[in-house]
Amino acid sequence: MENSEYINRRPFLKQHWVLPILLAILLLPILILLPWRTQKIEFEDHQEQLIEDTLWVEQGIRSLLVRDEDYLRSVGEDIVANKLPAEQIKNRIATLLQNHPEFHRLVWLDAADRIVYSTSPFSFNEFSPASQQSIAQARSNVLPQYSQPFGFGADKSLVLMDYHLPLFNDQGYRGSIVASYGLSAILEKIVPWWFAKDNEVSIVDIDDQVVALRADGGRGHNVFTHSKSLDLPGVNLMLKTNSIKNSPRLLSNLLVTTVLVLGTGLSWSLWALWRDILRRQAAETALRSQIAFRKAMENSLVTGLRVRSMDGRLLYVNSAFCEMVGYTEKQLVGQKIPFSFWTLEAYETISVRTPVKGTVNPISGFETMYQHASGRRVPVLVYESALLDENGIQTGWMGSILDISERKRTEQVLRLHEDKLQRSARLSTMGELASVMAHELNQPLTAISTYASAILNMKHSDRLEQDDLEQVLKQMQKQALRAGQIIRSVHDFVVKREPTRTQMQFREIFKNVLPLIEMQAKTYLVNLKTDIADPLPDLMVDPISLEQVILNLTRNALQAMQALTQHNREIRIVASQLAGMVKVDIIDNGIGIPAEVAERLFSPFFSTKSEGMGMGLNICRTIIEFHGGQLTHHPNPTGGTIFTFTIPYVAVAEQESVLAG
Amino acid sequence: MLHIVDDEVDIQSAIKWMAKSRKMKCATYSSGNEFLEIFQIPQTDEPISVPKMESAINFDPGGDCVLMDVRMPGLSGIATYDIIANKKLHKRLPVIFITGHGELSMAVDAIKRGAFDFFEKPFDDNHLFDRIQAALSHSRKEGDLAVIYRRLDKLTMREREILNLILVGKMNKVIADKLGISMRTVEVHRANILEKMEVKSAIELAGLIK
Repeated sequence: MENSEYINRRPFLKQHWVLPILLAILLLPILILLPWRTQKIEFEDHQEQLIEDTLWVEQGIRSLLVRDEDYLRSVGEDIVANKLPAEQIKNRIATLLQNHPEFHRLVWLDAADRIVYSTSPFSFNEFSPASQQSIAQARSNVLPQYSQPFGFGADKSLVLMDYHLPLFNDQGYRGSIVASYGLSAILEKIVPWWFAKDNEVSIVDIDDQVVALRADGGRGHNVFTHSKSLDLPGVNLMLKTNSIKNSPRLLSNLLVTTVLVLGTGLSWSLWALWRDILRRQAAETALRSQIAFRKAMENSLVTGLRVRSMDGRLLYVNSAFCEMVGYTEKQLVGQKIPFSFWTLEAYETISVRTPVKGTVNPISGFETMYQHASGRRVPVLVYESALLDENGIQTGWMGSILDISERKRTEQVLRLHEDKLQRSARLSTMGELASVMAHELNQPLTAISTYASAILNMKHSDRLEQDDLEQVLKQMQKQALRAGQIIRSVHDFVVKREPTRTQMQFREIFKNVLPLIEMQAKTYLVNLKTDIADPLPDLMVDPISLEQVILNLTRNALQAMQALTQHNREIRIVASQLAGMVKVDIIDNGIGIPAEVAERLFSPFFSTKSEGMGMGLNICRTIIEFHGGQLTHHPNPTGGTIFTFTIPYVAVAEQESVLAG
Repeated sequence: MLHIVDDEVDIQSAIKWMAKSRKMKCATYSSGNEFLEIFQIPQTDEPISVPKMESAINFDPGGDCVLMDVRMPGLSGIATYDIIANKKLHKRLPVIFITGHGELSMAVDAIKRGAFDFFEKPFDDNHLFDRIQAALSHSRKEGDLAVIYRRLDKLTMREREILNLILVGKMNKVIADKLGISMRTVEVHRANILEKMEVKSAIELAGLIK
């Protein structure tokens, strides 16, 4: 019952499993988000860095240009002021070019667009159309202006951008200073090496035409790019940076990888742990139910079980055993020989029969007595066998103990009952005896009375003769003596004295009863044959009871032959010597004893005769057994029955001692 | 004749002495079987015819009486009596039982079945012998009747008819007329009847059959 409940109670998830699983579920999206997020951050970091650097480069370009504008303006102011000699101004312009590599060429134009000075041989017409247009615009706007870059030289590989600085004074336009910037030179000068190494830096015009490019580390990958307008008057130029770096890979990050690997490992180990625990739980459940089942079995056993170790210590007892001896398991387990439930008188047999050490004995039960805690004695039947471990090595003794007090009690009751039966049988025998005695006494008394009547009758009619008188009186005397003998023998039996045993020959006893047997045989028309071995050893017997036995057996034999025709009827009485015994056979050839009768022949109150009490054979057997002999019967091979009794004879030495005494 | 049936030799002997003192003839038998054998009474259930019985059994004309012990080995007294009674011999052989201790009821039952009497041991011998005398005279009378019946049995049907008419005192002439036969024939019948009935005259015949 406990067992099945336990099985039903097994849930899919136990309470303590909820939190780890919840956490694992939460951890999973985080683990997925983390690399993505990291990539994004990394991407943004790159981008920002790029933007920042780009801005820095742009700022550098702008500040360079602004500074150059300042230089040029100062030169222009000197020209407008016209205070310095032209040669000095020319020197200054030349110095300016020398100090600033970004300048490709510096040209001083006068108001009539004639070239006052040029750092390299130059003619006005060499200005590109865009540049010439810018000159015009600058002049009309009275503002310095940049021109669209243009290719210079034969292969137009050198891209130049002109800066037109118109010079005005009170009299109006006084000329211009035109600075031609090499765009590539600007990039060379402004963009630091570490930036150029990682980025492709370019300047593009409004048509997205690359006008200057610096790509020390190679072409950009168009992943991280940024554009910034240079915001120069008169021209639309954009500074473009394009990182040569690829976009950061999703799992490139070692940390992320580690976290992911660890996370996976954690999940797997968690799962493995869970599976293992589930498996363990299943095994545990099975084990527990098995144990519960065994325990229940042990507890419901009526047989006491106990296990003793090889050194005689009690290792285990079941509840039946505890109940049997009245101690608790706690009190019993661990006890050493002698155990508290051993009884004093049984101590020796137990310790002998209880092998402390030794070879494996086959199962053999022995009866002994235990003492209950309450002092009550418990007869038990103990079976001990060797307890072997899985390697076949004896580790102790397994004992099963059966409480046989009930059986013992039943036996006792049965025995008492039997005694009672015997006693009542004896009483019945008394009743029968009284009846027999009355009958037996009636015979001689009747005979005496009749003899007396006869004599009186003769006397009255005066026909009494002396011969008759003497004869009749003798008969009367004989009858009176017979009556007396009957009374004496009955008295002997009833008073239940210790039968007086005397040492005598069987022949003597037999002589006493022979006339009676002969007479009975004659009455039954039975041929009597006797064969008494001579000599036979002396017997130590109570002659009267033995006579009783012989008479009883012969009477039975004679009665068994009633149904036979006259010439077949024969009874034989044979006495012979056997080892230590005198054996007497009473052999008839009568109807024999049917099997169902034979079974009950000696049981009290069993009789085949209508008037029989069924005690005759029972008493006979008792008498024979009292003499130390046996009364048996078996079928006569030639038909009928043989009753045999044996009586041990007196040993020769004993005889002599008796004679001497 | 007194027939003593008892397995006890002492009792037999005592009663024999008693019979002697009463001047009575007696015979002894030690068992029921012996008695039946000597009297040639078969131990079967079928009744025997009276003529056969009369011829086979040696009845005493002075009467018979059986003095029988109830308890005997072999055939008990009661069983022996029952055989006698079954053969309808219990009137010719009246049985007086001698009972021992505890056999009274059996004896009483036997009386109900027609046994003559019973005496419990020890008994008053002279009273017993008075009853034996009575039994003997009963037996004798029964024997006489048996003789008459035996003679009557010899008569033919016609003779019986004529006998009846003679007994009521009819003359030969009347009988002849009544039966439609001749006087001569009646006389022959009458002579045969007297011869068969072993009497000399009609008066004697009337005296025999009362």
